[in-house]
Amino acid sequence: MKDEILRGLTDSVVSGDVEKCVEYAKKALEAGIDAYEAIMEGCARGMSIVSEKYEKGEMYVPEILCSAEAMYAAMEVLRPHLKVEHVGTPRKVVLGVVRGDIHDIGKNLVKLMMEAAGFQVIDLGRDVPNERFVDIAVREGADIVGLSALMTTSMVVMPEVIKEIKKRSPKTLTMVGGGPLSPELAKAYGADGYAKDASQAVRVAKSLIGGVA
Amino acid sequence: MQDRMTPAERLAAVLMGQKPDRVPVNPFILGFAAKIVNLPIGDLYADPRKSFRAQLLCAEMYGYDATPMYAYASFGAWEFGGEVGMPYEPGQSAPYIIRHPVESPEDVDKLEVPDPRKAGSIPIAMEIAKLCYENKMPVVFQAGEVLTTAANIAEPARLLRWMIRAPDVVHKLNKKVAEFFIAVAEYFTSTFGADKCMAFTGGPVESNKLINPRQFGEFVFPYMKQIHSKVLGMGVHVILEHPCSDQNANLPYYVQLRKELGWNGKYIWAFGPETPLEKQIECFGEHDIIMGNVDPPSFQFKSFEDVLALCKDNIERGIKNPSGYILGVGCELPPLAPPINVYALMKAAREYGRYQ
Repeated sequence: MKDEILRGLTDSVVSGDVEKCVEYAKKALEAGIDAYEAIMEGCARGMSIVSEKYEKGEMYVPEILCSAEAMYAAMEVLRPHLKVEHVGTPRKVVLGVVRGDIHDIGKNLVKLMMEAAGFQVIDLGRDVPNERFVDIAVREGADIVGLSALMTTSMVVMPEVIKEIKKRSPKTLTMVGGGPLSPELAKAYGADGYAKDASQAVRVAKSLIGGVA
Repeated sequence: MQDRMTPAERLAAVLMGQKPDRVPVNPFILGFAAKIVNLPIGDLYADPRKSFRAQLLCAEMYGYDATPMYAYASFGAWEFGGEVGMPYEPGQSAPYIIRHPVESPEDVDKLEVPDPRKAGSIPIAMEIAKLCYENKMPVVFQAGEVLTTAANIAEPARLLRWMIRAPDVVHKLNKKVAEFFIAVAEYFTSTFGADKCMAFTGGPVESNKLINPRQFGEFVFPYMKQIHSKVLGMGVHVILEHPCSDQNANLPYYVQLRKELGWNGKYIWAFGPETPLEKQIECFGEHDIIMGNVDPPSFQFKSFEDVLALCKDNIERGIKNPSGYILGVGCELPPLAPPINVYALMKAAREYGRYQ
């Protein structure tokens, strides 16, 4: 019964079926399954499969966005039932698309994967002024700041943001990603990490902070 | 090494299937031109006279073969009634969307195809086109891509979700976008004559970083074919097609497009650096011109020597195309690239791109 419900959650996240996902989330609560377990073993497992399929070219962004919708719908049902012991102090990640760029799909996918992996994500949105990244990183004591850009014309502000973060919040790590970026460019920009896509972002973030979200 | 032809002669030679003195260079420069002439980048997109002058002076200074044009990646939102901001703030390099005109399927129903004479940036593009025409340069108008434009109108994530949840809404929007592009083409060709015009099309939402080739076949191909067929039918001979980012999995559709259009007209293919030149030559080499695809970020952070080596490699591979080759960059050249790295393109073309 329990396995069937968790598998139902996983499968409905992968297929992006919002109604079924909500149905299984409610079933999980009715069956006395711990909400944290339902999120981690049902929803997050589903997103992990989605991530693998994206990496293999078996799923693309339209399907992933539907999976995200399904996962968030289930989380809405499950989150109020999380027990206090599971609401610890997660690692904080500040995410945003840099100034002059409104392409936030990649950043939203990173956010989704990171939340599914247990990070607390502070989403600054898109077209984010440089100083806002820095101010929020300092104010929140962020573990990681992730900068995203789709265009060659917008990525150019990244070194400045990274430099300022290093100056004002030396413990905060930085990572970059998005279409025109590369490991070499990330290094040249002074970033601590680079992720090719959303599926890599969680792995990179975890490796930067020593494996614990 | 001195050039023996003018940019116009060089480009004409390539378009006619002849060999010019050296490979032409089109560095895909927009915002960079503003930086070179000490102009705010916003003016390049908001002030047609300043934009024309900046692009012209930059081309003259380096000696590259591209002529001024007007295009930007966020095209569509403003033209269909939304709002864009011009890049006047530090760090901004291209127009950006402030408000998408479509938020719901009902908005798509209500959306009217705008009059190209008044729509968003078209009057600015028309002013630049007039200056090009007066200076005997090709007139370039933006004619696609449909899905990128639809995404700019409806917000990219929303549009991509609709592709799964409400495909009919996407088709409805795409039809209106295609109708608009055809109207734009009619406006420019009737103003200047089709033989003076070149269509430019390209956008990132069609890329396989976002959609799969089956989705390209359903949501892009029919509209692309409709627009290109109409544009060629109007008498435009040249289409500059920029399949932005990684579109390797869409290549069969581009080949199909050319076959179904009877290989009419001349295409200049400007793929991203993800698509090897050899593959492009195999697909289009018998009929079309291939534009080089040197990696754009390299211009920003690599040394002059490294960029020169990349350009040399691109020339050596691209020059094998039997229907012509233009040394180019795989997407817009980063506006903050060190000026010396743009010179690497010219030096490479003059030293390694000479025809015997």
